[in-house]
Amino acid sequence: MYTKFSISLVLLALSVSLLARAQSAPQSGGDFSDNPQARKLPREAILVKGAWWGASDSVTALPEGGRMANNVYANPYFGLAYTLSPDWTEKYTGPPPSDSGYYVLAQIRPAETFKGTSRGTILITAQDLFFTLTPAGNALELINYTKDNLNTEYKVEQPPTLVRIASHSFVRFEYVSPVAELHWYLLATQIRCHMVQFVFTSRDTKLLESLIREMNKMSLPEEAGPISGRGGGDVPVCIKDYASGESIRERVDPVFAERRFNPVPVRIIIDKEGKVKHVHFVSAFPDQAKAITDALLQWRFRPYLRDGKPVEVETGIMFGRAPRQPTSSAAEAVNE
Amino acid sequence: MKTKKVASVLGLLTALFFPGIALAQTDPGVRSNTGVNAGQPLASVTANANDLAFFQTGLAQFNEHQTVTGDNPGLGPRFNLDSCGACHSQPAPGGTSPASGIFPNVGPNPQSQVIANGVVNGSTNPIPYFVLANGPVREARFPFFFDQFGNPNPNAPNGGVEDLFTVSGRADSGACSLQQPSFNAARATNNIIFRIPTPTFGAGLMANIDDSTLLANHAAQAHNGVGISGTFNHNGSDGTISRFGWKAQSKSLMIFAGEAYNVEMGISNELFTQDRPLPGEDQLGSGLPASCLNLAGIGYPEDVTHSDGTSASTVTSDVGLFNTFMQFLDQPTPSTTSPGGATSIANGRRLFSAVGCAICHTPSLTTQPSKLTAGLGNATANLFSDIEIHHMGATLADNVSQGGAGGDQFRTAPLWGLGQRIFFLHDGRCSNLLCAIEAHRSNGGEATTVEAIFDQILTSSQQQDILNFLRSL
Repeated sequence: MYTKFSISLVLLALSVSLLARAQSAPQSGGDFSDNPQARKLPREAILVKGAWWGASDSVTALPEGGRMANNVYANPYFGLAYTLSPDWTEKYTGPPPSDSGYYVLAQIRPAETFKGTSRGTILITAQDLFFTLTPAGNALELINYTKDNLNTEYKVEQPPTLVRIASHSFVRFEYVSPVAELHWYLLATQIRCHMVQFVFTSRDTKLLESLIREMNKMSLPEEAGPISGRGGGDVPVCIKDYASGESIRERVDPVFAERRFNPVPVRIIIDKEGKVKHVHFVSAFPDQAKAITDALLQWRFRPYLRDGKPVEVETGIMFGRAPRQPTSSAAEAVNE
Repeated sequence: MKTKKVASVLGLLTALFFPGIALAQTDPGVRSNTGVNAGQPLASVTANANDLAFFQTGLAQFNEHQTVTGDNPGLGPRFNLDSCGACHSQPAPGGTSPASGIFPNVGPNPQSQVIANGVVNGSTNPIPYFVLANGPVREARFPFFFDQFGNPNPNAPNGGVEDLFTVSGRADSGACSLQQPSFNAARATNNIIFRIPTPTFGAGLMANIDDSTLLANHAAQAHNGVGISGTFNHNGSDGTISRFGWKAQSKSLMIFAGEAYNVEMGISNELFTQDRPLPGEDQLGSGLPASCLNLAGIGYPEDVTHSDGTSASTVTSDVGLFNTFMQFLDQPTPSTTSPGGATSIANGRRLFSAVGCAICHTPSLTTQPSKLTAGLGNATANLFSDIEIHHMGATLADNVSQGGAGGDQFRTAPLWGLGQRIFFLHDGRCSNLLCAIEAHRSNGGEATTVEAIFDQILTSSQQQDILNFLRSL
């Protein structure tokens, strides 16, 4: 009895001691940890994010939501499915969208199984035409801008030309770096007021031509085209600057707790009743995203009519730092 | 007969193997045959006696070793080293981490010598595990605070500098007794990252580039064919573009100098006016103990403008002198012939641009007019940086947020002077250019496609030309 009591006391004291040790305040505020069993942080992980993408719901498809799986790059937002041969793979995912609405959708390279002698890269990108820094209102103008502003190390091999890919219209542009003997083949189209671009790079033009031929297996939405691509059908119609002027019935400005200086490009979908049903932050800090969501959900718009019937509208709003304005009126081309 | 057979096999192996070695691209290493390429004042400074005197006084102050008390007081109570010039010394004062045995052989990592040199007491300040004689000078940061159980808490970002050393045990530290942070515990939980000193050559030119020039360059680089975007970090007070430090978090050289004097050496000054506790001591604790305050016995701030000075350079505070010294440092001088010869370097420069490296590493930007000295005005700064911050991805992420820069965003490191640098990347993890280039590919990184073109598509000869070009800078 005495022994059992003693053991209990010892165990109790030990437990209290351990508990006290575990809960005692660390010296000088926590920089002197000495717990050998402490949890490890994952290596090579981005745990502290700056301005990042996000959305008000997890159901609505986003431009950055595409994935490469089983040799198919599929992007529900753009209604795009691109099947590649099995010896091409995405080894590294791209960065988050930029604050000028630029997306790296996929970075594809030869897999370990690749048997060809020439190598190359495939880069799929998108540029939100609402937020582009360049004076371009559609994909064709953006490619023309690219041609006109090529680095001096490049020479144009084929100026922008309209071509048919997978039964859709694309603009094709080719340039070369003579010193590197590298060729860039660009194919671009426009979907939902974004330029979606496929960039093929290699020293071997035969490889590039074969990759472009494979693009014919791609499935695309009906709207895709270098100067069309303004939504509609199963997706909202996209209209630049719809969140301005007479379109707005009620507007509440976001209240930011902290003064920051980054551009915050936001895409919204307005339902048929004129309410904001979805908010997509292309690039925002979490506190900015919350303040903007709280405000936007109170906005009311005049329903947009097409053929006399209300339809959903997708538009862009730049919060935060004022965007640099494109210098050409051509930017209005994405207006209906 | 047997000997002949062995010789034949060896000959065959040599023929097959060594040409491969010869063709394989290699980092030529620190350029040593063209003299030290940096550390001189701008020509316009040399031509003006007053400016030159200011520069020389700044240089002397930059290299001065501080003590807790005495003629150069204020060191500590926590610090990483006792002199600016000890860390910023390769290949000349103003530069970055030195190493012994590598041109110009400045010496071993000075942090590894602090006990031998009597800067710290070895019994109270063991050398942290990451400080090596042949490794880079480092500062350490814990990305997250620890919770009460000693676990790093991802919901409590820290990221401040955890000074390596304390004055405890020094003869001039009085009763101040401080513990070093638990670097080993941080190591065991992956809750530690490092930074190495940024070189300051040409820093005055960088300071004198107008925001409009940076914004125009940003717009001109948009819609490249390699997936690069980028943005700027901004000064939290006025919203203009900030540009100094690994994450472009500091607006000016004066702020950069004032903060470094306070954080790295523990010296309070007119910009950072108190002795600095560790982040945990300050934000979660009760600050520095009273026994560790005002150790110099001169009050605060320990570095001030001297109203009793007799000339511009003796009136100016230490921080002001550091600022002037860095402002007046000329940009490094590249070589046109070494390593690899003029043709290879010229070819490498063009290839560097052609594959997309130059989109971020902008070869040159023009400065605005300068009131300070003619050499800083309307000048071509060959910095090889756009001064933007870019997502470098998970491999390089340090999970420290500074201003608008997140955990994986870093300022494009200026490459001028690269030919005589020993350690690369923010934490000095690489001492070989190929290692540094490879680190540019990563999940979430902007430079992955550019790295793939370099690594997978260029020929060995083209890669070598780029390496030669980089070591010519």
